[in-house]
Amino acid sequence: MDLTYSLEDLAFRERARRWFEANTPRHELTTLEQRRSWHRTLYEAGYVGMGWPREYGGRDATPMQQAIVADEMARVNAPPTINGLGIGIVGPTIIVHGTEAQKQRYLRKILSAEELWCQLYSEPNAGSDLASLRTRAEDRGDHFEVTGQKIWTSGGLIADWGLLLARTDPRVPKHKGISCFLISLRQPGVEVRPLKQITGSAEFAEVFMTQARVEKSDLIGRLGQGWEIAQTTLSYERGGNSLARVTRYAMAFRQLVESTRTLRRSGRPLLDDPVVRGRLGRLYAELEVQRYAALRVLSALEKGESPGPASSITKLSYSEFEKRFYEVALEILGPYGQASSGLPANLTLPVVGSSGHGNTWPYAFLWSRAGTIYSGSSEIQKNVIGERVLGLPKEPRADRVKV
Amino acid sequence: MDFAFNPDQQLLRDSARGFLDAHCPSTVVRALWDDARGESESMWKDMAQLGWLGLTLPEAVGGSALGMVETAILLEEMGRAAYPGPYLSTVLAATALAEAGSPDQQRRWLGAIAAGAARATVAVLDTDWSWEPAAIATRAVRATGGFTLTGTKRFVPWAHVADVVIVPAQAPEGLSLFLVERAAPGLTLGAIQGIDLGTRWATLTLDAVPVAAEAALGPPAQGEALLQRVLQRGAVGAAAEMLGAARRCLDMSVAYAKVREQFGQPIGAFQAIRHKCAEMLMEVENAHAATYYAAWATDTGAEDAALAASVAKAYVGDAARQVCGEAIQVHGGIGFTWEYDLHLYVKRAKALETMYGDADHHRELIVRRLAS
Repeated sequence: MDLTYSLEDLAFRERARRWFEANTPRHELTTLEQRRSWHRTLYEAGYVGMGWPREYGGRDATPMQQAIVADEMARVNAPPTINGLGIGIVGPTIIVHGTEAQKQRYLRKILSAEELWCQLYSEPNAGSDLASLRTRAEDRGDHFEVTGQKIWTSGGLIADWGLLLARTDPRVPKHKGISCFLISLRQPGVEVRPLKQITGSAEFAEVFMTQARVEKSDLIGRLGQGWEIAQTTLSYERGGNSLARVTRYAMAFRQLVESTRTLRRSGRPLLDDPVVRGRLGRLYAELEVQRYAALRVLSALEKGESPGPASSITKLSYSEFEKRFYEVALEILGPYGQASSGLPANLTLPVVGSSGHGNTWPYAFLWSRAGTIYSGSSEIQKNVIGERVLGLPKEPRADRVKV
Repeated sequence: MDFAFNPDQQLLRDSARGFLDAHCPSTVVRALWDDARGESESMWKDMAQLGWLGLTLPEAVGGSALGMVETAILLEEMGRAAYPGPYLSTVLAATALAEAGSPDQQRRWLGAIAAGAARATVAVLDTDWSWEPAAIATRAVRATGGFTLTGTKRFVPWAHVADVVIVPAQAPEGLSLFLVERAAPGLTLGAIQGIDLGTRWATLTLDAVPVAAEAALGPPAQGEALLQRVLQRGAVGAAAEMLGAARRCLDMSVAYAKVREQFGQPIGAFQAIRHKCAEMLMEVENAHAATYYAAWATDTGAEDAALAASVAKAYVGDAARQVCGEAIQVHGGIGFTWEYDLHLYVKRAKALETMYGDADHHRELIVRRLAS
């Protein structure tokens, strides 16, 4: 065991810290053009697509270096890149499964955010049971024709393109009849509607496709290989952001402690109440454990080990922790925790939300409910852990029964 | 950065598991539960042979000069085996002696401890069972040639087999630590039976026990800092042992869920059981990260070492209780029986949860560190 950072990583962190302190925008980015411009600045500095191979414009950076950059961005509360899904998921999928022509056509524009991407996976009736999706892609000779509805599409409102899962063969078992496509959202037959969430804002969208067109050359992998491709795609979602997430929790925790100094109850600061202190101590212990666990995953990735199904443990752990964290924080803050405006400045409690957007406790509290649902709900993660890590017997499932 | 054990550490773990599987199966544990002394002299000698008793001690006294990570590796395996004996209590006392003892004290005790010829313990709690050093009421009063110690120490682990006890007491200079031989006049022992028959406790009554001035451990004014370091290592060590007990409970639960059938299939196929096991694994893996991070931080004197020890003790205590409790639930009725081994680990974890600072105490320490 050796948990010291290497000298290279320390120097790398130092350079990244100086760069972000000097270059992070001090004002909120409100327009698409401002966000695109910040993305280009990051790209030119080498902080976008760091884990991509050099031949496709990446830096071949180690998982630790990627995590360090994400962490430093969190530390200065830097706005995220605008094409997160394109860079984190779509690009890697094209790199692994795409044709040379697809790589030439798409990768560079993903990196530079000239084209923005989203992921068209979930449907209203196919969330956790993703393979039961019903959006159809039919072969029309020279192209595919897509009809169906997608939901929970992050970044859908600004996306130019989507990574699509659609059913191409309804006659075979459901996992085998799905294919993976690249589809332009800037075409007739595609309608994107904002989906207002419990937070009051719309980070998600619904996407309706009616006889939309996909070129034959935009099929990823083989026909019917979509499910397999989606499995590898989902595994890209873990690891790189782990330290940054914990840093955001730690920033929120510091603000929570500050608030318990400011707020008074029964004539004394909340922080002096032993019940409050006990709760704070428990939250911080759990928070630190997320950090140790993140370092453990990173150290395995550094050695080229794939976390595989064990990454389900990480996802389950941090998303359940996050939910508990904001629940307890709002309990501690009482009526002040659920207020988003209307209080004197010294009692308006700011917070850095774990998602990097929203800056009130009510928002962070509500947003924390998403983590245990998206990207494989906690229940799905527990199934994966039970079956693939612990080797428990599979549950008999009607959709897996051989016909 | 490498969170995994290095080859030497891996070897230590494998050999510890092999030794305990062979020499400390549950039949032996159960026999020692019924034994008046509660530990095995031959196992202790074997552990000395393996170098475990001198693990943290200097090479000059026959030790290996290793640290908390290696100690935690052994303790995790001991927790996994529900090993009954004074290993943790002796290591804590011996490490404090190696750190602060005078040359005479070290000559007298360290070689004997490393060789398995002597055992030691630390008597922290008074009748006021706060883990704050300030709550210690035992007094050290100046007398001819040294001090007399008066007070009542409770929940002293393995005092009845210890040859020497480190006793913190309020001296005129402030909190000081004294080496008291168990045979000292005025010192009496009374056994306390706890939930875990593999952990032996005693009440130690000190009635004007005379100790020489040379019996003070370290400079008088630095007793509190030394005690804090003992407690920090104790917290990490107890976390490691609880981790081992929890992992054993998880392993037993998973194995059982694969073979126990109800409603025509193994219960592990039911989500209610599978999800429980998945949550248990998550807690165990988090507990592993917490324990070994804290052990490493302690060894390297990292800035956050004390904080990490408190995080580990608080987190792993809660996690182990949770995992062990759920293991009983997964096993159903059989898990509630004396004959089935599960309760050995459940009880060990519960006893350790209260040692070297319970979760409430460590959560308070965490907040104090963050909010001061």
